[in-house]
Amino acid sequence: MTPRAVLACPGRGSYAAASLGSLPADHPWVMRAEQLRAGYGLEPLLDLDRSERFDPSRHLQPIHASPLIFLVSMLDAEAAVADYRITAVTGNSLGWYTALAVAGALPFEDAFRLVQEMAILQQEPLPSGGPGGQVIYPLADSAWRPDPQLHAAVAAALADPAANGDGHVHESIDLGAYAILAGDEAGVARLLGRLAPVRVGARMFPLRLSQHGPYHTPLVAHVARAARERLGDLDWRAPSATLIDGRGARWTPWSTDPAALRDYTLVEQVTTPFRFAASMRVALREEAPDVLVLPGPGNSLGGICGQLVVAEGYRGIGSREDFETVQRSEAPVVLSMHR
Amino acid sequence: MTFDRVAIVEASLDTYLAQASAAAAKLPGDAPLREGSGLTARKAMELFEDQLLSRQLDVAARELKKTNRSFYTIGSAGHENNVVIGAQLRISDPSFLHYRSGALMMARARQLPGSTPAFDALLGIVASRDDPIAQGRHKVWGSRPLWVPPQTSTIASHLPKAMGLAFSLARARRLGVATDLPDDALVLCSFGDASVNHATALAAINTARYAVRLGLPMPILFVCEDNETGISVPTPEGWIASTFGHLEHLRYDMAEGEIDEVWDAVAAAVHFVRGARRPAFLHLRTVRLWGHAGSDAEQSYRSPAEIAENESRDPLLRNARHLVEAGAATPEELQALVADTRERVTAAAEEAIRRPRLETTEEVIAPLAPYHPGRIAARVAAPLLDPAARLELHGGNLPEEAILPTARTLAGCLNAALADEMGRRPEIILFGQDVGRKGGVYNITNGLQRRFGTGRVFDTLLDETSILGIAQGAAHIGLLPIPEIQYLAYLHNALDQIRGEAASLQFFSSGQFRNPMVVRVPGLAYQKGFGGHFHNDNSIGALRDIPGLVLAAPARGDDAARMLRGAIAMAAEDGRVVVFLEPIALYHEKDLETDGDGGWLTDYPAPPAALLPGEVGIYGPLDTGTADLLIVSYANGLRLSLQAARRLREQHEIAARVLDLRWLNPLPHQAIREQAASIGAVLVVDECRRTGGGVADAIVADLAEAGIGRRLWSVRAVDSFVPLGTAASAVLVGTDQIVAAALTAVSGRLRA
Repeated sequence: MTPRAVLACPGRGSYAAASLGSLPADHPWVMRAEQLRAGYGLEPLLDLDRSERFDPSRHLQPIHASPLIFLVSMLDAEAAVADYRITAVTGNSLGWYTALAVAGALPFEDAFRLVQEMAILQQEPLPSGGPGGQVIYPLADSAWRPDPQLHAAVAAALADPAANGDGHVHESIDLGAYAILAGDEAGVARLLGRLAPVRVGARMFPLRLSQHGPYHTPLVAHVARAARERLGDLDWRAPSATLIDGRGARWTPWSTDPAALRDYTLVEQVTTPFRFAASMRVALREEAPDVLVLPGPGNSLGGICGQLVVAEGYRGIGSREDFETVQRSEAPVVLSMHR
Repeated sequence: MTFDRVAIVEASLDTYLAQASAAAAKLPGDAPLREGSGLTARKAMELFEDQLLSRQLDVAARELKKTNRSFYTIGSAGHENNVVIGAQLRISDPSFLHYRSGALMMARARQLPGSTPAFDALLGIVASRDDPIAQGRHKVWGSRPLWVPPQTSTIASHLPKAMGLAFSLARARRLGVATDLPDDALVLCSFGDASVNHATALAAINTARYAVRLGLPMPILFVCEDNETGISVPTPEGWIASTFGHLEHLRYDMAEGEIDEVWDAVAAAVHFVRGARRPAFLHLRTVRLWGHAGSDAEQSYRSPAEIAENESRDPLLRNARHLVEAGAATPEELQALVADTRERVTAAAEEAIRRPRLETTEEVIAPLAPYHPGRIAARVAAPLLDPAARLELHGGNLPEEAILPTARTLAGCLNAALADEMGRRPEIILFGQDVGRKGGVYNITNGLQRRFGTGRVFDTLLDETSILGIAQGAAHIGLLPIPEIQYLAYLHNALDQIRGEAASLQFFSSGQFRNPMVVRVPGLAYQKGFGGHFHNDNSIGALRDIPGLVLAAPARGDDAARMLRGAIAMAAEDGRVVVFLEPIALYHEKDLETDGDGGWLTDYPAPPAALLPGEVGIYGPLDTGTADLLIVSYANGLRLSLQAARRLREQHEIAARVLDLRWLNPLPHQAIREQAASIGAVLVVDECRRTGGGVADAIVADLAEAGIGRRLWSVRAVDSFVPLGTAASAVLVGTDQIVAAALTAVSGRLRA
């Protein structure tokens, strides 16, 4: 019997040096994407993908990284559809746009435009000046056990943003074992100053995410407004596989209202926290898949999904050690496609 | 005829979908399913998804039962049109649900993104500790975020509290008590056509109508899910409509037919209740598929033809046909939906059975009787009224400073203590028969309505079930009710409101819902022959038998005031349900021994002095070396024991120490052991029935098991109802009896 899979598409930051050379020039999606890129007057994606070396200042610019990630994820997802019965599709942040295309709620071209336009809009400075950004902070230790002190630190950082000076901070993305907080420049500075330094594995936190804006917060309400104008003609449809959004709501092939899906995507998820942890929790509980399949590029959601599996106790997996044992077995619970 | 009716009903739907043809034209999602209906094609598909999901949960429960992996098979199959109610009400409309509410819950959960209603239900079915509401203590429909307090609903005992919550919504707002509900919230209460015959159900519906007659808001939607059967007994044809269809002050709507007709009928009823703030009775026609539960062999009381006829009315089959014929979906689309739903529920069920179950006693009882003495002490201490406000509250004379008389009766102390507590805790409401204008049959609540207004102190109709229902409903939304049951004998007709409902709420909701309350109950005997059984009842066994219940029995005024404060603090802090049993015979008693000795009057202890369970009263020689006997008693028995102690001292040179239990549940075993260990001889004076109340049994057993006390004895009332007149003394414990027993106990000790 074909394994039942939930597909989870990665967000920004997944395209890295190892991703170079992922795009097949002759694939119809790649060719169509290049036409659209040309229409925007943007550098060909193949040029970026075939660079000799990975240049973060270039490759990680949202206007380049987002469509690269989208394309790579789409190609992996296409392969996954052949091997699994996809019961639901979800994604983290940018990955939500990919999920829309994978599930057929948007045609490829429209989804590409959504990704590209959003990247362009998100790259513009905030109305209040400056780019703003995201700060990631752990909520669990290196054994993936939730740490109440870290939870409290994040809650405190969010509780009274005005108390310690100027700027705004908001919850941006909930990854389960990590919180991503966001703010304008003053807010980011405050987060970096206020959150106590903590080491998890080899990395120190808090960590500002390079070239990320304050996504999923009211600070980018102007993006939502502009998106409604620029993307008013997208062809929204009911998906062909159930989508699980950044609140954990399910959009099924049978009852989805395309206009509501549009409003959620262009407005609500732009300005309110994206709860990837909630979407995965719903996926694990309500779909109970045989496997979580993670399209590339890279494996940025691999650990995060492992942490969510452990938090849920899915299939009796209660610890990082359990998870790693299952991953080494013949029936791993998370499969990364790694393109 | 095969009896795997699950497979047959499932196959009927499959067969229909395999053979059906799509409508000529696809109905747009925004178009009404039927011309003029408020139900759109898309919404109808959403409803169908939730109905199918509910159905598959029932299938899974039965499948798991085959291998003993599920523990509950009462299902929603055939009742799935209740999905409409779930879709139309808001998650801020508190809902007390019938056990066949699967589809309703699926639709309700849809309103809260991130919900996992199918998996949550499966966790309940397999009794897993991960079940988010009951943690496996029962399979209930319940959810804190969805505002669904868990119900067992079996005997319709949830209607009174649903009515009570509807009654309390406007009152809480008027009193400034914050709730998490919007101003136009309504209350939903659903039940079956058989269970609506319960006295509890009829009482609640009656009280809802009574409130309307009084001009009070009562925004409640009663939903009778009529499947025409109670287990094996058919409901007489037309019974529900004829019983509830023509009652004054109760709107009646029938919801039947196609799903869009049900939708519109529900919409009309909801609109009425929300807008008019008055009750409606929605009669939802359903069928019951697959028997009452998995263990119910339907073929033993229904013919094969009856079973098949019943199954032909399967709402899922009917809705599938309607959706296909209207063009809302193609048969292929519905086939895909059915396959997807079956697949994911089957997979989720396999996951659910891997989840942990409650294992230890500690885990099971964790939410039963929460007790945080430190936090309770803080509740006792604050808030305090400022002295000027308190002086005004007491009309310029503080009860503890009164000049004439300086000391007070039990009644006087209780009255002052109630005033003090109401003065400092605005969330308290006090109600019952005669407690308002009259001030209570025994003047305990005298003047309170004048001081605190009819919003907080009010008379109710004479129905103990509804009084306790109002208390529960009010407590669900943050009020702190002090209901009065006029006499202990009257409590018994409504006792399940405490045992099955109020006291079990924290247990079945894992502490997520609570209904704190202090139920005042005048009772016990010794009223000099007056009153007979109904006013002298000494039956406390049923109360002591309720897990988690706190039972207080003060004997003196100062104790009563301090215990009332402790009881209220326990309710406020830990959500406890406290029964405050007040000995009627001691309400106005002034004397201990002889007329005019004033030995039963006490000073009024000023707030915040308080007593908690375990804190006993000690009388008599305090030097342990000097006591020959420990007498353990409570309420009237305390006064009799003190009289006996004097006689023992004067006539027999026996020094008896007397211990007042004060709290009958939990019993202060530790304090008794400490006293008994040093004295040796123990006599328990229990004024309740010899084999009924259990206080003496429990104390003697505890001491015996602990190996404490060389001589254990007890005196108790006779196993009888209390008769009228002087004959009462023939069945009650008297001083002579106590003295005689004491002599036996002591002589036994001396012989040892």
